[in-house]
Amino acid sequence: MMDILTTLEASAFSTWLRESSTMWAYPAVLTLHTVGLAVLVGASWAVDLRVLGFAEGIPLAALARAFPVMWIGFWVNAISGAMLFAADATTKGTTLLFMSKLGLVVVGVVTIVMIRRTVYGHGEPRLGTAARALAVTSLVVWIAAIATGRWMAYI
Amino acid sequence: MSDIVVTWLKSTTLSHLMVEQPWLWPISETLHFIGLALLVGTAGIFDLRLMGFLKRIPIAAAMKMRVWAAFGIAINVVTGVMFFVGAPDQYIDNPAFWGKVLFLLLAMANIAFFETTQGARMLKMTADEDTPVSFKVAGAVSIASWFAVLYFGRMLPFIGQAF
Repeated sequence: MMDILTTLEASAFSTWLRESSTMWAYPAVLTLHTVGLAVLVGASWAVDLRVLGFAEGIPLAALARAFPVMWIGFWVNAISGAMLFAADATTKGTTLLFMSKLGLVVVGVVTIVMIRRTVYGHGEPRLGTAARALAVTSLVVWIAAIATGRWMAYI
Repeated sequence: MSDIVVTWLKSTTLSHLMVEQPWLWPISETLHFIGLALLVGTAGIFDLRLMGFLKRIPIAAAMKMRVWAAFGIAINVVTGVMFFVGAPDQYIDNPAFWGKVLFLLLAMANIAFFETTQGARMLKMTADEDTPVSFKVAGAVSIASWFAVLYFGRMLPFIGQAF
């Protein structure tokens, strides 16, 4: 495992990303990662708030469009995240903090998929206890994911 | 001039706390990111509606999301002030910081201008109605300026090598 991580970290791309002083390297990837998170978590929370009863005038059907937006944010972060991971694969990549972050992201994405199925999966969009419980879960899980992600800067 | 400001800010209790309490800065940063996600998600819906997207959402309903956007802005203004007071020398001569402030002021001015000149008109719009050009511009300026605030914020450690 460590061999793979070491090779990844030593690759030309990772070395360039980590050591180049141009803004188009590490800073650009970090910026994309922040944009992706704002879009993914922002869209997710907008749906969560609506599911929990805020802005009831917003038709549920209209918010179905939020899910493709979440996937765009997710993929921007999966790709930028992979680059950030490769740059520090053997150090940051092997920490419990990072693995917790990944675990939380997985839970967050699964929660989004479940919200989509629960609310939109059966004909007319509808809310219920399950949807509300999932919405609260989503709010909490993404807060935790953001926290673990931010604390990566300190290790 | 900036030296006097920096010295005075650094002498405050808040500044000492930010520097000495090891968890305060990371927690404030986490709150700052939470605020930005909340802002982008909820203001995003409203701004997209202003631009004429998501027409099935009545504007009056989209407006209700703004409370959460305001909450996100409030979290970020408070934590932002905490950062500035905590380490004023990291920001006061940093071009990225002033870029961030510029676009923050633009975002707020856009909101204020739109509210005062188009607020009444907005309330009279029906669902499915397309929006006038002034609404579209306001929505686009809002989205662009908030992303510029995000960009300059992210670039704080890099532009000007201030950190």
